[in-house]
Amino acid sequence: MENSIEVENLTKVYNGKVKAVDNVNLKIGKGMIYGLLGQNGAGKSTLIKMLTGVIKPTSGTAKIAGYDLNHDSLKIRRITGVVPQDLTTDGDLSGKENLKLVADLYDIPKKDALESIDLLLHMVDLYDVRDRHAETYSGGMRKRLELACGLMNKPDVLFLDEPTLGLDVTTRSNLWKYIRSIQKEFQITIILTSHYLDEVDELANELSIIDHGKILVSGTSPELKKSLKGDIITVHLKNDSEFEKLKSFKDAIDIKKIETGDIRIKVSNSDEVLPELMGFLSKNQISPDSINIRKPSLDEVFIEYTGRNINAEQEKPDYAKLMMGRR
Amino acid sequence: MGGLIPLTIRDLKRWYRNPVSAVVGVIQPIFWIVLFGSAFDIAKFGPAGGASSAFFEGAPDYITYLMGGILTIIGLFTGMFSGVNIIWDRRLGILQRFLIAPINRASIVFSRILSSVARIGVQIVILFVVALLIPDGLKIDHGITAMDIVIIVSAVLMISFIFSSLFSIIAVRTTKMESIFGIVNLINLPLMFASYAMFPPDLMANWLSNVAKYNPVSWSAQSIRLVIIHGNLNGAESHTVLIYMLGLLALAVFMLIITYVVSNKEIRE
Ligand SMILES: Nc1ncnc2c1ncn2[C@@H]1O[C@H](COP(=O)(O)OP(=O)(O)O)[C@@H](O)[C@H]1O
Ligand SMILES: [Mg+2]
Repeated sequence: MENSIEVENLTKVYNGKVKAVDNVNLKIGKGMIYGLLGQNGAGKSTLIKMLTGVIKPTSGTAKIAGYDLNHDSLKIRRITGVVPQDLTTDGDLSGKENLKLVADLYDIPKKDALESIDLLLHMVDLYDVRDRHAETYSGGMRKRLELACGLMNKPDVLFLDEPTLGLDVTTRSNLWKYIRSIQKEFQITIILTSHYLDEVDELANELSIIDHGKILVSGTSPELKKSLKGDIITVHLKNDSEFEKLKSFKDAIDIKKIETGDIRIKVSNSDEVLPELMGFLSKNQISPDSINIRKPSLDEVFIEYTGRNINAEQEKPDYAKLMMGRR
Repeated sequence: MGGLIPLTIRDLKRWYRNPVSAVVGVIQPIFWIVLFGSAFDIAKFGPAGGASSAFFEGAPDYITYLMGGILTIIGLFTGMFSGVNIIWDRRLGILQRFLIAPINRASIVFSRILSSVARIGVQIVILFVVALLIPDGLKIDHGITAMDIVIIVSAVLMISFIFSSLFSIIAVRTTKMESIFGIVNLINLPLMFASYAMFPPDLMANWLSNVAKYNPVSWSAQSIRLVIIHGNLNGAESHTVLIYMLGLLALAVFMLIITYVVSNKEIRE
């Protein structure tokens, strides 16, 4: 399959200190939805900003639709669409005026622009409110306007940076609908970042897990789940000495403590191992508060590769950032 | 320079649509002219018995003298808003939309400068109309020629271009509003008082008048003043105005180049 994006050793170091993206290599096939899954601060936005020419890489390069990031930035910007993590539309302009401005920035002839604008407004269900100032839109409407802005130039590649961040559940699944219909209708490559497992699982044809600026693993969701080779039994123990005793359980592939304090036992087949485990626990006088059995899920894949639960430390707004402006 | 025109139009739209900024834009010049222009009585400056206006280069009253200064200072003060607006766009995230777009990034900055200059254009007109209408206002006995208008308008536009550029360059990388306001506070008052904008050289200490000589604010204020007070300039006067205007032009071109290079390369999200 032809690649739409090829990233080579891409690295970004902020202020000579923060290594936000660390030697990333990626190949993304044409026409797919590609997910980048990672927690807050993993480097997702930095990677997207480099690929869209907003910031310069510290080292490394990438090819987008055959154009080199370090030499053809203008051409890349012409054929890519972006919906950045933060809102970029002007609240003092109406939805329609925002789209007109974007059309002008892409030098789209007036007649074509007006046609596309009406089409896009219908597509994201904002046609009826097109003349209202964008600041009067709800969060979901505003995000849909951003989506329309990102599609204005009929891009070959569309970047969506945490498109559903901060939206409620219904609005999120609503937005998923739009994203799917965009891919169907325009046949474009979509790169989607998210820290929502369900979102990536739901939408992405392939995905990578990114952590501390590094790509840890890539593949399709079923491939990654299969790569775990087994089931997960999670137990909650009363203290560490019980954990020490449990470590000598022979039928486990792996036993480790994860950030939440739970013990994660990886086994080849939970149906066979569970009776053994129960016997072992009672023989050693370990009495867990809870026992949980899970077939492989993307959650488990994330924990396997990062050692952390993706929901740990999430949903905590950065108050300092909110108070002080964006940096 | 793709993007320059749409971005400028957007900026002007925001200006005239926002009632506060539009009203302030109209009221501010009126305040200046009414407060300062009629607050000082030239007669009290000179030796008893008249001839006072010699100090003020033959102006019949202070308003007429001050006109060049006020026009220039409004150009100076409004210039800082180009910088402020760039920082606002950055904080609101809107700047990212412009950085993503396939445009020359210098046009993001130049659109701000251009719209500042356009706003000044509107303010000049208001200022003149008000100054002529108020009782004891501006007196231009000798009439005014097209050339006079060209000199007045281009002096103010160049001043506003020069200072808009200066503050925009500062805004290209900074994220803090305070930086701009700090620098505005630091340099605007000295620029205003160490110049011939408010007072003639004869009323200044020697050192101050020597400094003021090299201040572009003086060049603009003095050029406009000569035109307003005297009209039909004689040889020496035309020469002075020509030198000042060339000075402003050179500085404006210099700022244009610096701003282009800096904004194109250095603007950050
Ligand atoms: N402009 C910046 N200057 C310095 N550090 C930054 C900047 N932007 C992001 N970072 C840091 O880089 C890391 C990755 O951030 P980011 O790319 O925003 O992650 P994500 O989008 O995955 O949440 C974080 O540690 C963040 O604090
Ligand atoms: Mg991010």
